Amino acid sequence: MTDIVRLILVAFCMQWAVAALPAGAVDFTAAETRKILRHGPWPQTATPDPSNRVSGNPAAIAFGRVLFFDTRLSASGSVSCATCHRPDAGWTDGRARSRGQRAVDRNALSLFNLRFNRWFGWDGAQDTLWAQNLRPLLDRREMGIGAAGAARLVRGDRTLSCRYRLAFGVAPGPDVERVFVDLGKALAAFLETLVTGRTPFDDFRDALARNDAAGRARYPDAAKRGLRLFVGRGNCAFCHFGPAFANGEFADAGVPHFAGSGRADPGRFGGIRKLRKSSYTLLGRFNDDPARTTAVKTRHVRLAHSNFGEFRVPGLRNAALTAPYMHAGSLKTLADVVRHYSTLDEERLHAGGERILRRLDLSAREQADLVAFLESLTEAEPRRESAAKPGTSPCR
Amino acid sequence: MAGRRQRGPAFAAALAFVLAAGAANACERPQGWTGGGKIVGKTWTVRWQSAPAAIPVGAHFSLRFRLCGPPVARVKVRGWMPDHRHGMNYRAAVTLAGPTGAVRGLLFHMPGRWQLVFDIAGAAGREKLVAETVLE
Repeated sequence: MTDIVRLILVAFCMQWAVAALPAGAVDFTAAETRKILRHGPWPQTATPDPSNRVSGNPAAIAFGRVLFFDTRLSASGSVSCATCHRPDAGWTDGRARSRGQRAVDRNALSLFNLRFNRWFGWDGAQDTLWAQNLRPLLDRREMGIGAAGAARLVRGDRTLSCRYRLAFGVAPGPDVERVFVDLGKALAAFLETLVTGRTPFDDFRDALARNDAAGRARYPDAAKRGLRLFVGRGNCAFCHFGPAFANGEFADAGVPHFAGSGRADPGRFGGIRKLRKSSYTLLGRFNDDPARTTAVKTRHVRLAHSNFGEFRVPGLRNAALTAPYMHAGSLKTLADVVRHYSTLDEERLHAGGERILRRLDLSAREQADLVAFLESLTEAEPRRESAAKPGTSPCR
Repeated sequence: MAGRRQRGPAFAAALAFVLAAGAANACERPQGWTGGGKIVGKTWTVRWQSAPAAIPVGAHFSLRFRLCGPPVARVKVRGWMPDHRHGMNYRAAVTLAGPTGAVRGLLFHMPGRWQLVFDIAGAAGREKLVAETVLE
């Protein structure tokens, strides 16, 4: 057989082999495919929070929704949860650092998919969603009504009192803290419903799982290239892991953690210390689960110097709707976030800290590809909510 | 006689150590255990099994273990990612009951290569036993 004939045969065989593969099958290796499949399926199965006896209770969800938009829950009467978590702005407020009754040091986190979190807030100072809801009510910069003020409001208002009774089965009692915590639990029941819908990425991921070539082909090539960077060279998936694209923990992302006027934001370090001092935790009397089944994290969490300047790894679903980014809103767009990691100043990271982040030196096209992938994590029709949504409650 | 008396206990101790070392090497899997692993050290061998059987990423898991070898005074168990130079964000608690033990509070919070480290101490000395696992 001459060399020419051999070459023609080899070329023919290669062409046949490629043609036999379904479209898109050459896009990802088996290892990459396994990593991609870990980011689904979506939506996830959700179970009620055992520490909150009204988790999933429709009357509590409706009550929580009313509370969320009620400005009377602030000391000034002018700020509600929705002031900083606007439904029309991805449940955040578009500001770098948020402003309730006064300015605060941090960016308002979005409220998407909170029910899948392990810790709450940028510093994880709360171990439940209901405890997280109490924090702004106590913080004078945010709503600041305090436990007594909130309990007084609910007891004294016929409609709120009626909704409380519907949700909890009893009228608001004399125990101020109990009523206060129950407001946090009703708010949590509402916030648990804010789960994002399906995205173009989910369609692609499921097509990959069932080996559906046509389904895979519908996902844009730029997003595919960005996804490859995300699970590969970018090392993004170490922290942005799993179906919610968050590993539930904290990281030093190399952004400045000065809170202004020479103060440093201690991040996770301060969060663990606050958690240990709080009476509103899974180890306290307000946990409705006598077995404390979800309290293992609180019992075993470890405080380390390396926690200083660490902040929560946020989920990435609908991230395109929640600008600006990072704990103090220092990066305005997703393109800025990608550029931050591409040109990362490694000197900013803890010298004795973990070695995950590296300057990525991405090309302009690679950066655009990563942004295209992140944008593909956006649901087509985000849920709309407004204070004016009519209710069917018998409480008037 | 005195010499013999001195040699007797030494011989017995040496024999006990050799037997213990032999037992440590054998260290059969306890009945009913499936999966998990075995780490053979110079002084001790540990058999361990996690619950759930496949160590998850980003969720708490527990362990039970059985130590074979000389008596143990203290065991610490921790996780370590050598490539990232960090451990767990949680401090695991070990309950020892003779040669067996239980560990609670473990959480491996990211995919990649993890080491499960047993730090063992007893009258026979100290030993670090390490098992490696790659989580996807």
